[in-house]
Amino acid sequence: MYNIWWFFTSYLRSVLKWFLRRTTGLCELQRICYGEVSGAPRISAVEKSLNLSKSPQIKKLIAYLNDVSDNLRLKGSTEREILKGAVSTVLLVKRINPRIHFQFVKNFSKCVEQIWGYRQLLAEVESLRNIKFDSNNLEHEAKLLQLWEALMPSVELDNRISKQWQDIGFQGDDPKTDFRGMGLLGLENLLFFATEYRMPAQHVLSHSHHPVYGYCFAIVGINLTSMALHLLRSGDAKTYFYNTSKCLPSIRLFHQFYSYLFYEFDRYWLECKPVDIMQFSNIKLKFENNIRTSLMDTNAVFKINVSVDTV
Amino acid sequence: MGFLKVLKKMKQKEKEMRILMLGLDNAGKTTILKRFNGEPIDTISPTLGFNIKTLEHRNFKLNMWDVGGQKSLRSYWRNYFECTDGLIWVVDSADKRRLEDCRSELHVLLKEERLIGATLLVFANKQDLPGSCTAEEIKEILELDKIQTHHWNIIWCSAVSGDNLLKGIDWLVDDIASRIFTKD
Repeated sequence: MYNIWWFFTSYLRSVLKWFLRRTTGLCELQRICYGEVSGAPRISAVEKSLNLSKSPQIKKLIAYLNDVSDNLRLKGSTEREILKGAVSTVLLVKRINPRIHFQFVKNFSKCVEQIWGYRQLLAEVESLRNIKFDSNNLEHEAKLLQLWEALMPSVELDNRISKQWQDIGFQGDDPKTDFRGMGLLGLENLLFFATEYRMPAQHVLSHSHHPVYGYCFAIVGINLTSMALHLLRSGDAKTYFYNTSKCLPSIRLFHQFYSYLFYEFDRYWLECKPVDIMQFSNIKLKFENNIRTSLMDTNAVFKINVSVDTV
Repeated sequence: MGFLKVLKKMKQKEKEMRILMLGLDNAGKTTILKRFNGEPIDTISPTLGFNIKTLEHRNFKLNMWDVGGQKSLRSYWRNYFECTDGLIWVVDSADKRRLEDCRSELHVLLKEERLIGATLLVFANKQDLPGSCTAEEIKEILELDKIQTHHWNIIWCSAVSGDNLLKGIDWLVDDIASRIFTKD
């Protein structure tokens, strides 16, 4: 049954495409690049169109771009070369005159950059996650201490092994085991939030000390790293990245996405007025579903509203 | 047909077990649960709150409760004691610094009235790590021989590799079954 349906829709799609091509004189990619709003609506439509393409040259191009981005080679001057190559392949296959359709060249190239930039970002994020926090690594240790300084600027840390770590929401007296499956990514996320969004982070940290609705700041943070990673992997996060990113997406953008999630989670948690910390699993699940729903709207823009009230 | 279904449902209900998994933080409780359930274990973050999973194992329905182990959460453990058939105490065999802490927490737990009658399985986890204590050593340090109030057993395992997990769970299930489903 499903097969028949699939056959029917793909057949219908070809007929419709042929009809539109005849009447408008433009191929599907051109119609998208001229007709759709820039950002997620256009980029997602281009992505879908490319993935459905039956042309062997386009299929080969996709495989090549996948390989390049999985190996983090979409950078600097190579990136420009690769984008140029991708565009000219499409121009050739679709028989588009670049002198007349210079706007298409520009728009389409932007889309390719974002689609495979996202894929490359995922590979970069995964490789950071795969690095285990190692207390023998001076760099890792320095970052951990930096996190303390950023969150608790007025309090000196007595010792590397200290109960004070619980004040910023680690589980025990040594944070090293708390990073677990999130590895260095968890630490980098927390550090970015604490240093680049200093005020909001302080604000969130103070909420985490609330006598009734308090929670463990760092542990919640590591759980949110896991959530951000899952949203990135599943592709749900594309709306965010496609609408926010102006150039090749970097790891900073992922940290920004994470910071947004953290700030919003804190607000949602307080709104829920949880009886105790054991509600965390449920509330986290509800929050994740809310985020997924808002990401489904391709026009959505996500920003931290730093209208910080001083509680 | 309907009647048979009802009978079957009742039968299934009979074979349900409630298993509570506790231990210090970073002992590997969530990893054991996920590994046993065949889920990926590479992206686990510390448990704040609890996880619950219902698994089918050898025709038994196991309701597994995995509750976070950090100090500030331990006072909530008691909310999960009711109707517990089996208790799995997970030990990080490589964390020698906290084995004393681990022992005292376990013995406090065993005094709990609502857990009397529950079968105790101690998992000496993380045997894959170099320098981890053997199950025999853990047994000594945790003073398991002193336990009179519960059926107990200690089994070494590695949640990461999956080694011996099945052996432990099987023992637990057998022991509970022999206590509560003897009429079968």
